[in-house]
Amino acid sequence: MEDTPGYRTVTEWMRSKGNTAFTFQQKAWAYYAKGYSGMIVAPTGFGKTFSVFLGVLIDFMNHPERYKKGLKLLWITPLRSLAKDLARAMQQAIDDIGLDWVVEVRNGDTTIKQKQRQSRQMPDVLLVTPESLHLLLAQKGRAHFFTSLQAVAVDEWHELLGSKRGVMAELALAFLRFKSPTLRVWGITATIGNLEEAAEVLLPHVKKKIKVVAKEKKKIDIIPVFPEEVEILPWAGHLGGRLVEQVVPIILRSKSTIIFTNTRSQSEIWYQLLLQAYPDFAGQLALHHSSIDCQIRQWIEEALGEGRLKAVVSTSSLDLGVDFKPVDTVIQVGSSKGVARFMQRAGRSGHSPFEVSKIYFVPTHSLELIEVAALKEAVKTQTIENRDPLVQTFDVLVQFLVTLALGGGFRPEELYPVIRDTHAFSYMSEEEWQWCILFITVGGSIGQNYEEFHKVVRREDGLLVVEKRRIAMLHRMNVGVIVSDAMMRVKFVTGGYLGMIEEYFISKLKQGDKFVLAGRVLELARVKEMTAFVRLSSGRAITPSWLGGRLPLSSNLSHFLRQKLASSTHAGTKEKELQFLHPLVVRQNEHSHIPAEDEFLVELIKTREGYHLFMYPFEGRLVHEVMATLLAYRISRLFPISFSMAMNDYGFELFSDSEIKLDQAQLQQILSEKNLMDDVLASINATEMAKRKFRDIAVISGMVVQNYPDQQKSNKSLQASSGIIFKVLEEYDPNNLLLKQAYMEVFNQQLEEPRLVSAFQRINKSKIIFKFATGFTPLSFPIKVDSLRQSLSSEDLLSRIQKLQHNNAQPIRRK
Amino acid sequence: MNIVEQDLIFSGENLILTNQRIIYWPEEDTLILSDLHLGKAAHFRKHGIALPKQVAERDIERLAKLITHYAAKQVVITGDLVHAGANKEVELFASLTLQFPETAFILIKGNHDRFIDKKLSAIGLHAVYSIWNMGPICFTHQYTRELADKWTISGHLHPGVRVQLPTKKYLRCPCYVVTEKQIILPAFSLFTGLDTWSIPENATCYAFFEDGFFKVG
Repeated sequence: MEDTPGYRTVTEWMRSKGNTAFTFQQKAWAYYAKGYSGMIVAPTGFGKTFSVFLGVLIDFMNHPERYKKGLKLLWITPLRSLAKDLARAMQQAIDDIGLDWVVEVRNGDTTIKQKQRQSRQMPDVLLVTPESLHLLLAQKGRAHFFTSLQAVAVDEWHELLGSKRGVMAELALAFLRFKSPTLRVWGITATIGNLEEAAEVLLPHVKKKIKVVAKEKKKIDIIPVFPEEVEILPWAGHLGGRLVEQVVPIILRSKSTIIFTNTRSQSEIWYQLLLQAYPDFAGQLALHHSSIDCQIRQWIEEALGEGRLKAVVSTSSLDLGVDFKPVDTVIQVGSSKGVARFMQRAGRSGHSPFEVSKIYFVPTHSLELIEVAALKEAVKTQTIENRDPLVQTFDVLVQFLVTLALGGGFRPEELYPVIRDTHAFSYMSEEEWQWCILFITVGGSIGQNYEEFHKVVRREDGLLVVEKRRIAMLHRMNVGVIVSDAMMRVKFVTGGYLGMIEEYFISKLKQGDKFVLAGRVLELARVKEMTAFVRLSSGRAITPSWLGGRLPLSSNLSHFLRQKLASSTHAGTKEKELQFLHPLVVRQNEHSHIPAEDEFLVELIKTREGYHLFMYPFEGRLVHEVMATLLAYRISRLFPISFSMAMNDYGFELFSDSEIKLDQAQLQQILSEKNLMDDVLASINATEMAKRKFRDIAVISGMVVQNYPDQQKSNKSLQASSGIIFKVLEEYDPNNLLLKQAYMEVFNQQLEEPRLVSAFQRINKSKIIFKFATGFTPLSFPIKVDSLRQSLSSEDLLSRIQKLQHNNAQPIRRK
Repeated sequence: MNIVEQDLIFSGENLILTNQRIIYWPEEDTLILSDLHLGKAAHFRKHGIALPKQVAERDIERLAKLITHYAAKQVVITGDLVHAGANKEVELFASLTLQFPETAFILIKGNHDRFIDKKLSAIGLHAVYSIWNMGPICFTHQYTRELADKWTISGHLHPGVRVQLPTKKYLRCPCYVVTEKQIILPAFSLFTGLDTWSIPENATCYAFFEDGFFKVG
C-alpha cells in the first residue's frame, strides 16, 4: 500500500495541510483497495469522511482503468445540511490533488435544472439523502446512473440505524448490490452499543467485510452546575430557573455557547430567563428549535458558524449538522435521557481531534445531579446505547416497491430474494411478500373488495410498473418516511411569518389566549384554515408544551442511576455530586429508604389528600406509564378502586382518595412477572395506541397523502385521516399487514416489551422494600409535582360522558 | 343498529335527531341527511389508495335500514351526495332508490355534486334543487348570511365537538349544530372527518356516540 502512487499522492497532500493519516484511515484504505466492504467506527472530528473518500481516490489513482466515466462513488448522508459542506471539502481535496472528478449534491435543495443535467450526465461523486436516492431509483433511466458505480458510503450510519430511514438505506443498498454484485459498501458510524449488529445490518451476507475501529477517543469534561444549597424536596423543573445566575458567567467566559434543552417549551423559557438575567445578551442570543421558521434557523446556524452569536438556546434541532467552529462550550439543561445523546451534544464543542469537549450540566431538580455521576461512569466505561434496527416495516417496503415499479419496473420473483437478504426483511414470509405485491397491484388480499384500484400494474411481459401519470406524481412527492405532525403556520395579523406550530397545540387555545413562540409573547387573534394569526402581546402566557420532546430515559443511563443512587448512602463517597446530595439522601433514608442495587422500593404515603403508592423502577417514562397502568389494573382486581397516575423517568405514583390496602404478599403478587403481557394487554387500550402508530404507517405506505403535486383545491377530495382509515381496515380488512405492523410497533416501541419484561424480571429478583410515610420523601416529591398526570378509571365511556355532562361541559373550540 | 333519538322543536315542528346521523321529521314522514359522499372510497382507489368497497356499502346499508325503520316517504339530502364524479359506488345509490320505489329522493346540490344534473333520473333522484323550502324549513347545502331570516337545515361542515374528559384525554364526536333558526347536520357517511373548529357562536351542539347523546355549549 505505502509504495503505491495513489497512497503517496494522498499522504503528500495531507502533509501539505499539516495532517498525517490516522492508523484507522490507513487500514480502511488498504481494505478498500483489496475489494472489501466495511464499517468505520470513529469519534466525530477525526476524519471519518476521509477514511473512505481518500480510499476511493487512492484506488482510482492506482487503477484508473477500473473506473469508467460516470458516477463512481455514491455518498449517503442523513442530513441535507451536511451535504453541501462535505461536497465542498471533497471537491477541494480533489482539486488540490489534481484530479478532474466532479462532486455534486442531489437533494431537496437541488434545482430542477441541475437534477436534469445530473440525470443526463452523473458527476463522479454524488451526495444524496436516503430519500433522494430512492427518488433516483424512481426514475425511468435509473439503470444507466449506476453502471460505473464502484462504492457506496453511508455516513452517520448510527443516525440512520434504528429508524425507518435506515430501512430505506438497507433497501436501496440491497437493490444496488443486486445490480452490481462487486459493489463496495462502507459505513461510517460513531460508537454505539451494538456495533456488530450495525455492521451486519449494513452488510448482510457480504463475505469480504471488515470493521475498522479508531483507537482515538474524544475527551469529554463534564462539569455539574451546583445550586447554592441542596433542596431536600426536589421540585421538578423549578430549580433550573434559579441556576440561570450561574449560567450567565459561563456564557460570558466562553467564546460561543450552545445551551441544549430537551423540549421546545424549555428552550423558550430559558431564552427568556437568560435575557432577563443579563439584558445585554439581546442581539447576541438566539433561539433555535424546529418550530422556528426555517430561514431564521438557517441564519442562526450561519451566524453561529461565523462566531457572531454569543449563545444559542436550542433543542435537539442542533444535535447534528455542520460543526460550529467557534463553539467552545455546551450547556445541557436537565437530563439528556441517554448517554449517546449526551456525548453527541458534548461533542458540539471543541471540534479538533485532540481538543477536550466541555459540557456543563444544569440540573432542573437536585436529584438530577445523580445523573451527572451516572453519566460520568457511562462515558468512562463507554457504555453507549444500542440502536436497534427495525424489522418487518412493511410500510417502507410497499413504498419502495412502488418506487421500483415507477423507475422502470421490477419482477417480483427476481426481487423477492433481494429483499429477503436485507436485515429488515430477513424474517419475511412468502405470504407476507405476496401480500405486499397484492397491496400495490390490486389493493389487498381480497381483490374484489378493491375494484377500480389502480396503482401498480403487471405488464404482459411480467414486469410490474406504474402507468398512471397522476399516481407517479403523487408517489414521487411523498417518497420518504418522515411524517410530520399537522402543522399550522403562525403569522402576524399585520403580516410577517413566525414559524410553524402543531395543530393540536393551537386547537387547545381560545381566541385571546397568549402563548410564547420564538421568544415572543403572542396573542391568538384568529385561526383560518391552517394559519394561526397572532398579535404581539405581553404579560403572562402559556408556553406550548410539545409532547413530542419527551424522550424517556435510556436503559443504559437508568442502570447507572440505580447504581449511583445505591452507592450514595456511603458517606465517604468521593464523587462530588453525591457528596452534595448527601442531606437529601440522609432524609430519604430516615423517612423511607435508599434502595440498594438488589432492592426495589415501594412507598405508601398517606396525606390529607389521600393515599399515594410510589414505586421506583428507574426505567423511563414510557415503561412507567405502562407499569402504572398495569399495577392499577392488578390492584383493582384485588379490590375495586380507581387511581390517578403520575410518572417521571425515575418512578411513578398511583393516587387514590380511598385507602390502598396492600400487604407484602399482595405487593409481591401485583409485581409478579407471571401473565405479564396478558395483563398489560388487558389493562391498556391497544387499539387506541395502534391507531396512533398507524398514522405514520398510513402516510409512508401511501394511504394518507401528505404532499400534493399542486396546491389545487381538488386535492381535498383525496384527504382522509389515518384514524378513519384505521377503523375501516380494522373492520373490513383485519389481515392487512399494515394494521398488524401498527400493533407490532405498539409492542416494540410504545410498550417496549423487552425492556418491560426485563424490568419485571429484575424486580422479581430484587428484595421488595415496602415503606410507609406520612409526608413526601425526596424521591416521591418530584413525581408528585410533575404536571403530566393522567387518570385511569374503570368507568366506561358512557359514564364518563355522563359525569362530564354533570359538570356542565364546555366544548373546546374556536370562534 | 342502535338508534338513539333526541327530540327537538325547530320552527314549531317536532324533529327527531338520531345518533345515526339522520333527522326524522314525523309530520312529513321525511328523513333528512347530508354529505353522503358516495364514491369517495372508489375515488381513493382510482388514485392508488386501497380502501375496501364496504366503506360505501356500509353507508348505503345504514340508509336503507333507516328508511325501513321510519317507513319514510321522502328522503332529503342536503348536498354532497356524490364525492367526486361517477364511479361504481355511485351505482349503489341507484339500486337503493330502486329498492324503495314509494320513497321520493330529493337532493339539494352541494359543492361536490357537479355531475348530478345529467344523471339525475338515472340514479333515481326525483328532484334536484340548489335551495328548497318545505313548510317552514329551508334546505340548503351551505348556510349563507342571506338566509338569516329563514329556518334553515344545512350540511357541508361535517361538524363535531372536541371535549375534554376528566382524564385529560380528548374525545371527538360528530354533532348537530343547533342555533335559534339553524341546524347544521353531521355528515351521514362514516368515512368523513370532523370539523370541530368552525362551529358558529351561541350554538348548542347535540353530540352523539354509539349509545347516546350529550349536549355541549
